[in-house]
Amino acid sequence: MNTVNIVVAIVLAAIIGLAVLKIVRDKKRGVKCSGCPHSCTCSVKDSCD
Amino acid sequence: MKIALAGNPNSGKTTLFNAITGRVEHVGNWPGVTVEKKEGDIKQSLNPKKENLIVVDLPGAYSMSPYTSEESITKDFVLTEKPDAIINIVDATNLSRSLFFTTQLLELGIPVVVALNKSDLTEEKGIAIDIPALSDALHCPVIQTVAAKSANNGLPELINAVITVVRSGKKQVALNIGGVRNASTKEQFEKADKKRFAVVNTIVAEVERRKVSSEKQTLQDKVDRIVAHKWLGIPIFALIIWLVFSISQTWVGPWFADTFVGWIDLLYESVAALLGEEVNPVLGALLLDGIIGGVGAVIGFLPLIMVLFFCLALLEDCGYMARVAMVMDRFFKKVGLSGRSIIPMIIGTGCSIPGVMATRTIKNERQRRTTAMLAPFMPCGAKLPIIALFAGVFFSDNSWVGTSMYFLGIVVILLGALIIRQITGDFSRSYFIMELPEYRIPSVKRAAISMLMRAKAFIIKAGTIILVSNAVVQMLQTFDWQLQVVAETAPETSILATIASPLALLFIPLGFGMWQFAAAAVTGFIAKENVVGTLAVCFGITNFIDTEELALVGGAADVSSVMGIGAVAALSYLVFNLFTPPCFAAIGAMNSELESKKWLAAAIAFQLSMGYVLAFLVYQIGTLATTGSFGAGFLGGLIAVAVIAGTIGYLMRKGSKKEQSLPEIGVVKA
Repeated sequence: MNTVNIVVAIVLAAIIGLAVLKIVRDKKRGVKCSGCPHSCTCSVKDSCD
Repeated sequence: MKIALAGNPNSGKTTLFNAITGRVEHVGNWPGVTVEKKEGDIKQSLNPKKENLIVVDLPGAYSMSPYTSEESITKDFVLTEKPDAIINIVDATNLSRSLFFTTQLLELGIPVVVALNKSDLTEEKGIAIDIPALSDALHCPVIQTVAAKSANNGLPELINAVITVVRSGKKQVALNIGGVRNASTKEQFEKADKKRFAVVNTIVAEVERRKVSSEKQTLQDKVDRIVAHKWLGIPIFALIIWLVFSISQTWVGPWFADTFVGWIDLLYESVAALLGEEVNPVLGALLLDGIIGGVGAVIGFLPLIMVLFFCLALLEDCGYMARVAMVMDRFFKKVGLSGRSIIPMIIGTGCSIPGVMATRTIKNERQRRTTAMLAPFMPCGAKLPIIALFAGVFFSDNSWVGTSMYFLGIVVILLGALIIRQITGDFSRSYFIMELPEYRIPSVKRAAISMLMRAKAFIIKAGTIILVSNAVVQMLQTFDWQLQVVAETAPETSILATIASPLALLFIPLGFGMWQFAAAAVTGFIAKENVVGTLAVCFGITNFIDTEELALVGGAADVSSVMGIGAVAALSYLVFNLFTPPCFAAIGAMNSELESKKWLAAAIAFQLSMGYVLAFLVYQIGTLATTGSFGAGFLGGLIAVAVIAGTIGYLMRKGSKKEQSLPEIGVVKA
């Protein structure tokens, strides 16, 4: 594997990894849809606060 | 110290909450915007001693007797959580209506401070209020506020007054209304309410002087006679929505989109040049086509969406949307709903989730569930890229496409409500009484904040859910089941194609029986923007907006030839995506509000059926009109539609029988 491929693979892993991490962290906080300002309150029981 | 903000709907509670906490919760110039309590700390400039001051914004309520569920949130909070003080926000321009609730709050034994909000409007209206006299009459401090103003707004005085009354430790003195607190039966409550109104009227007569006679027709009344007219109201609403879509998608939106897409193009080309020829094609395609191309295709529509949200926020702020609810009430009443149901639908044009949540203001269970089922039929912000894409590629006059989808959504909702009423056999009726807010010049600042909040949400969504979805789609179409890279000449052997192909067979009668469209429709359930992203990845189109021609979607002929469908099939696909179930997050909100697995399953089945039948009708009738014969798969599709129609017809008949067996018809439940 040449250097360019290694760099691209790392960049891809970082981009996708960060996106997945954000989704997982949001789920743990009760956010059902990342980015949505209303998703904390879309379930009666869950809260993001 | 916990301070509750309580007051009538549209008295400015959330505006005051935002002003004293520095938060940016959604506000609107109509009743019923807040349906959940919200907490925040008082900002430092109003709390120099850094005391622990927490403010809770409660949904609007007209009285402490719960009528709708958001009113019971207010009542439950005040009674069970026992805040240290209550700021009662009173609309200074409508004292007689507001003080009824105030008299009830005074009876709780919790210190009350009255914020006489919108005080700037009293002078304009020729209203004079004797503040010390009002304070004496209510036995609590009364502070004039203008929450919408950034300076000289009375908010520091208000917070000081709250701290002072709490520190004094004195119990709140209630008004002497005579036995109203012991009421337990309906008759006693009615008597008590009459006494309460009499006391309020006496106080208002003593403290308020109005120069303007209520019989005189104001400019607002004159405007309402036109925009809220029985027949003129609908074409005016259509014209306004057409203008909103024209501004966002034809006149102003593309101008911003042009610059924005130029940056995305530049990024794509720069990364492509940086990678050169040495990069592994799979990795290169994943980065360029899957991530930059796929996400870029969706993000490219952001300026259009921002302009649309800005226009909708201006409409909300000026008070027009409340008139729309009034105009639509007549039609909604005919199908067993009321104008109250239009409010969640208007909120749903931003995002279906708050739209579905807003249904909790409807007390009648059948109406609430029906509205929660049908609200996602309004085109939400996530569906706008799909509308913009197909309108731009296949239809030159694209603002009409968006407008017609908006109104088709309303027609589908009316039809759906009629069907649900027949199926449930619940013919109860309710009456819609709504306080029309004053017209005002919309605030550009508030509209800009609303737009930026939604834009931020869109970007976060594009950078997370849509990015990951596009990466997965790209990988699934790159490899076959043996994990070998698929040859360019045989894309149908990819994992994605083999999964989506059986589903595509179902779509032949709808005019888009290709695996790419099937895959995009399925990923749309994760987030509706994914439809555009997946199509971009599957068809290898990096962006849909032509930066040179300054057109919403340039190279329309090229894009449509790559997609391999005509205008009729494109319209059918657009209708299918708009009227099938919303994204999973919105389905989750429906689950919460419907409070029944049976209703949720029925809602999803109904939405799937509605999307399929409408797309079938659009494609087959459109093909017949343009070519003189029906499209492919007509017979199979007709059988499927007949089965759906037969099932609905059977359920409606069963529901009608249930209704006939009831001893009394037309009981008013709400």
